[in-house]
Amino acid sequence: MFKFVLNDAATCVRNNVRDFSLNALRLLPHLPQLSPYDVNLQLRENEFVYNFPVDGIVRSYETNQLGSNSPCEDSRTEASLLHRNGFICGIFDGHGGAACGQVVSKRLLRYVSAATLPRQVLKEHIKQNCNSQSFLKCHNDNVDFVNEIKPIYEHSFQKYIKQLSQTPQRDVGSELVHAFLQLDEALSHEALATIDVRTMGVALSGAVACLVHLEGLQLHVASTGDCGAVLGVLDPQTSQWQPKKLNIEHNADNMTEVKRILDEHPKEEHDTAIRNGRLLSQLAPLRAFGDYRYKWSLDIMQKKVVPLIGEQAMAPNYYTPPYLTARPDVQQHELSVNDKFLVIASDGLWDFLSPSEVVSLVGEHINSKKILEPMRLPEGNPTLQQISDQLAERKAGLTRKPIDQNAATHLIRNALGATDYGIEHSKISYYLSLPKDVVRLYRDDITITVIYFNTEHIARLRDAGTGISAPAA
Amino acid sequence: MYRVLGGLGRSIPSGGNLWTHSGVATRTLSVATGHTDPADEQVLRKRKFQPQQAPDLSEQLAGQLPGRARVVICGGGITGASVAYHLGLHGWGGETLLIEQDRVGGELPWSACGLAGRFEPSYTELKLAEYSIDLIKQLTERGLPTGWRQVGSLNLARNFDRMTSFNRMKSQAVAWGMNCEILSPEQCQQHCPLLSLDGIEGGLWIPEDGVCDPHLVCHAYVEEARRLGVQIVEHCAIKKIHSEHGKVKRVETTAGDVDCEYFVNCTGFWAREVGTLSKPVVKVPLKAVEHHYLHTQAIDGLDPNTPFVRDFDGRIFFRECEGHILAGGFEREAKMVYEDGVIPLSQTARQFPPDWDHFHELLDALLVRVPSFREATLDRLTNSLQVFSPDCKWILGEAPEIQNYYVAAGNKTMGVSASGGIGRVLTDLITKGSTYLDLHILDISRFLGLHNNRKFLRDRCKEAPGKHFEINYPFEEFQTGRNLRMSPIYPQLKEAGAVFGQSMGYERANYFDQKDKKDEFGLPRFRIAQTRTFGKPPWFDHVASEYRACRERVGIADYSSFTKYDFWSKGTEVVDLLQYLCSNDVDVAVGSIIHTGMQNHNGGYENDCSLARLSERHYMMIAPTIQQTRSMCWIRKNMPDHLRAKVNVADVTSMYTAICILGPYSRILLSELTDTDLTPKNFPFFTYKELDVGLADGIRVLNITHTGELGYVLYIPNEYALHVYSRLYQAGHKFNIQHAGYYATRALRIEKFYAFWGQDLDTFTTPLECGRSWRVKFNKPINFIGRDALLKQREEGVKRMYVQLLLNDHDHEVDMWCWGGEPIYRDGVYVGMTTTTGYGYTFEKQVCLGFVRNFDEQGQELAVTNDYILSGHYEVEVAGVRFEAKVNLHSPNLPTKFPDREREAYHATRDKPDQADLLSFSSHLTTVTRGGGH
Repeated sequence: MFKFVLNDAATCVRNNVRDFSLNALRLLPHLPQLSPYDVNLQLRENEFVYNFPVDGIVRSYETNQLGSNSPCEDSRTEASLLHRNGFICGIFDGHGGAACGQVVSKRLLRYVSAATLPRQVLKEHIKQNCNSQSFLKCHNDNVDFVNEIKPIYEHSFQKYIKQLSQTPQRDVGSELVHAFLQLDEALSHEALATIDVRTMGVALSGAVACLVHLEGLQLHVASTGDCGAVLGVLDPQTSQWQPKKLNIEHNADNMTEVKRILDEHPKEEHDTAIRNGRLLSQLAPLRAFGDYRYKWSLDIMQKKVVPLIGEQAMAPNYYTPPYLTARPDVQQHELSVNDKFLVIASDGLWDFLSPSEVVSLVGEHINSKKILEPMRLPEGNPTLQQISDQLAERKAGLTRKPIDQNAATHLIRNALGATDYGIEHSKISYYLSLPKDVVRLYRDDITITVIYFNTEHIARLRDAGTGISAPAA
Repeated sequence: MYRVLGGLGRSIPSGGNLWTHSGVATRTLSVATGHTDPADEQVLRKRKFQPQQAPDLSEQLAGQLPGRARVVICGGGITGASVAYHLGLHGWGGETLLIEQDRVGGELPWSACGLAGRFEPSYTELKLAEYSIDLIKQLTERGLPTGWRQVGSLNLARNFDRMTSFNRMKSQAVAWGMNCEILSPEQCQQHCPLLSLDGIEGGLWIPEDGVCDPHLVCHAYVEEARRLGVQIVEHCAIKKIHSEHGKVKRVETTAGDVDCEYFVNCTGFWAREVGTLSKPVVKVPLKAVEHHYLHTQAIDGLDPNTPFVRDFDGRIFFRECEGHILAGGFEREAKMVYEDGVIPLSQTARQFPPDWDHFHELLDALLVRVPSFREATLDRLTNSLQVFSPDCKWILGEAPEIQNYYVAAGNKTMGVSASGGIGRVLTDLITKGSTYLDLHILDISRFLGLHNNRKFLRDRCKEAPGKHFEINYPFEEFQTGRNLRMSPIYPQLKEAGAVFGQSMGYERANYFDQKDKKDEFGLPRFRIAQTRTFGKPPWFDHVASEYRACRERVGIADYSSFTKYDFWSKGTEVVDLLQYLCSNDVDVAVGSIIHTGMQNHNGGYENDCSLARLSERHYMMIAPTIQQTRSMCWIRKNMPDHLRAKVNVADVTSMYTAICILGPYSRILLSELTDTDLTPKNFPFFTYKELDVGLADGIRVLNITHTGELGYVLYIPNEYALHVYSRLYQAGHKFNIQHAGYYATRALRIEKFYAFWGQDLDTFTTPLECGRSWRVKFNKPINFIGRDALLKQREEGVKRMYVQLLLNDHDHEVDMWCWGGEPIYRDGVYVGMTTTTGYGYTFEKQVCLGFVRNFDEQGQELAVTNDYILSGHYEVEVAGVRFEAKVNLHSPNLPTKFPDREREAYHATRDKPDQADLLSFSSHLTTVTRGGGH
């Protein structure tokens, strides 16, 4: 009992450490004060914007990442689906090292792009010796696996699509779940089958994932762990921005999830399976890729992992594995003309901002960003008065002109610097200049992708009624 | 929070080496975002001005290009075409070559308004525009397509001051030979029924203005030039302009070299960059800014004879153009483009998307003025480049750096109105060396190096386009590019409450105002002088008090901006040179000061200066501030070859601070700080001495003030300036010394009837016309420049005469003031214009200086005699109201409590042309100095 209280107190202290110490740190004179220019450089270092050249359901997306861990444990990938008009993207928040997040980030999209392809097409491609990258085109991709690892992953992928081609097509949601689980299994298999320390590293580190799959009007969000996806909906009556949450975080705050885990294990473990809001008092997300320390049997742990790492590899009270799964929750949503954008972000952002704050920030940014772009004239033959009216509207937005063009950067800036009186430079500066060894206490890695939908295209699809037909089951 | 607790995380082998960076992917990134390779972009940005290389074309052209031509014109825009045409007219067609890097007349078809109008702020500009319009009319009559239609221009006023400026223009129009009419708001609407009269106070109608198509006009010039034998080579870019012995020698082009005598830079927005293609660099201070033109689609029932309408206070203009409306404007703050100064050569690369937000203000102003345009549909808004010079005036004339290198640029959206006149005057300058108009306000030598600084241009040219439509208030100042040249005592002046004006980049204290002189931190505030009225100016009382201090006690003024040159030589060559350049006799006793003009071959003033003979072979020249570049050009150009290597001429303007103390106590004040005896016997009026002042030495003291007051100007080496200033100011306390600004010294000299170069005197005024013939020594043993012309004029009598007019019945509190340019009537007949004017604080009257002519009934000019002047009854018309005036021919003696024999004996302007020098000290002085020297 006493122990429990102590633990609770420790959690309480940790939760509040940010508030306490930030104020204390501000008083420290030795922290360098960054100039606005330096702040901009840091905030914008990983910015990326992609405007889709062809008319599609996604007009553009903006993404950014601000690391806290070194290296940053978050990853992100966005890709267009080849052989059909679709978009797929994901955010991956690694833990216990960046390896798992990075690997999953690259491989999961390949698995999903193959899985959601009509089986007929897939079979034809298999005949033509397709590889793992045949089904998608990544946009912001400048790294690749090293040569020793590549064939291992390629082999797993071939095995996966072969198996796929022999099973009948399921609906997209089921295919997503299947792809998640298959990839997670592959991680285990590769770690155990090869003696490469790198594959073992991937299996032992972990990652949570949030994946968005968009084809036609059908939006699927598959989430494992505690990333978040929220849809920005413009209420046509009130012109207010409404958030629509498209996933439920798998963490200790999620009672259903806690219940699920406790039900999967014997009653005796109720106190130990989840303690202090953590799985086996260690892991905060209750579902994840990798993290095979919480999945493998006792036997495998003793034989393979303990020799490599030592006794501490075994989590306390590790009796009835697996405790962890990579099975995602999938939510399906049919896009309407009021759905303007989707934000997916790692928990680094959600620590600071609530979904409704995020949606209103991005919504405002859309309005004020118009001022950053050259004016688009109304279609047809506008009269001078119409143009003048439109310019007056833009002018009103001038006062709210954001510092950043990129909505993701705008969110990060607001997350770190928002005060009651607007963005405060010194606050951002403190967050960004914290010493390496303590920075993780104050902010996690933040990764954000904002996807903008093409309202006209949505309207056209809805009119045509084609959006209803998801890829044939 | 850490996601994993327990010490495991870090010991897991890192996945860091799972990755390789692939270069290919990075490249796709840049393609995806629609940019060219960043590396290339960097190179392009860093690139200096590089002419376009077109190897295939160059080979084709190689045969076309002649090996030599007398004149090479670079730039086939409307200006270049006009220069070519005029050279052709002058019979130089066969010897003229025009090269153009692209195609002749290739400016974008949507980027000009085609107004041929004459609403210009100065006589010179107006006359040039008028000639251009006449020329376009002429070409049209000869059957060349120009698009010319005389629709008239309607200028609208929304406030009283604008209306006053129209009234002033209407008054001036008589003198300038311009037809115009003041309209009531209703009359404005009759001329253009589209207008809303909301806020309109009235208008000015210029019936002879019109519109044309600049491209057709350009092609007409080109065709005519071709017909007259001018060779035109297209797709041929200039690479280098070579000079030899300071003169143009040869040009290098992409199609080969051409030997030439003259080079004309008409390259529009590249003029500054083309300037860098020669050694020394020719400085053409220009900056490109964005400029928008709005085109609507055709409007039903639009009257093709809709006049060209300018709503100055709304900053907009519009015209009818092939059934639709073309509108534009001059925004308050222009938008810069190509801040690095590198302008792409191809048109496609120069096309900017229109900036609607920038145009918004103008669009709204247009819709307010013409409500029916609200329903008009848009065709396009174009964003084209326009170049402006730092003072928003054209740049013309021979480059100070290289002889025979001419520049015609900075036509700031007015290419059509400017081109004809510019072509004519440049041709005159090239073929004859002079032209029919005084061009000094447009001359390229009005600039200094600082004006060509790219950052200066970037700051200043934001403001320049807006000036275009602003009310032409007296003493207007720019707000940008300030605090650039400052004298060492500038901080002291600022602390003393100085309000500044800028001349040649120099901050001059215009007047001193003790109110609000500190900012919220208690630091002296930098304030820019503003008049912003045509009536009694806001600084009236400050200047009155400074004026009185100078007249009755002692004033201290900063003259540092004055141009200062040193002339010296080993032998007596310097005397020979100055005797040749100056019309007065410079071979005076050492220590004397003389006022002299430097005349041109027609006898006009190229420069008006004071020369102090420092020693037998060393002179110091003091000239007006605006002469700093110009007089050096004149001296270099007219230096006889045999003296060139022997006489040193140095611009020492920046080495000396000039402090003037003036007023009856100035002598006592100065004598407290120096050991030298300052009594008139030892240091008479109009002499120079090098003195120790305070603890400093080597201070050149001139016993003149350029105002007619007693006093001294101290030329102090800069490092002593603050010391001498503080000593003077401290010692001056007991005399109640007061700072005096430029406005006060100006008021003094106007009342004393002193002429200043650039304001009263110009290249067309001779000493005989302005009561200074006593300063011309015809009998000196050298044929100085202009002697023949002056002798001839002395024989024939002058056609105009410089007079001082004192206005009666003018209430300075209520009536509009004179600000220069008012017409003078003699017995009800127009006879001339005022030049400088001001309030005479002693006379308590408006004082006008100006020139009076004598026209017979046929309009022929007759000689003007003293009797003619004195026998007339004079009136001066100020913004439409005539005031009776009393005329003076010589500097008046003002009543004073401090009579001084010397001061009264000296009259800067004299009525008797051959009046003997009244100063008796000169012979006496000669003996004193000579005696002292040996």
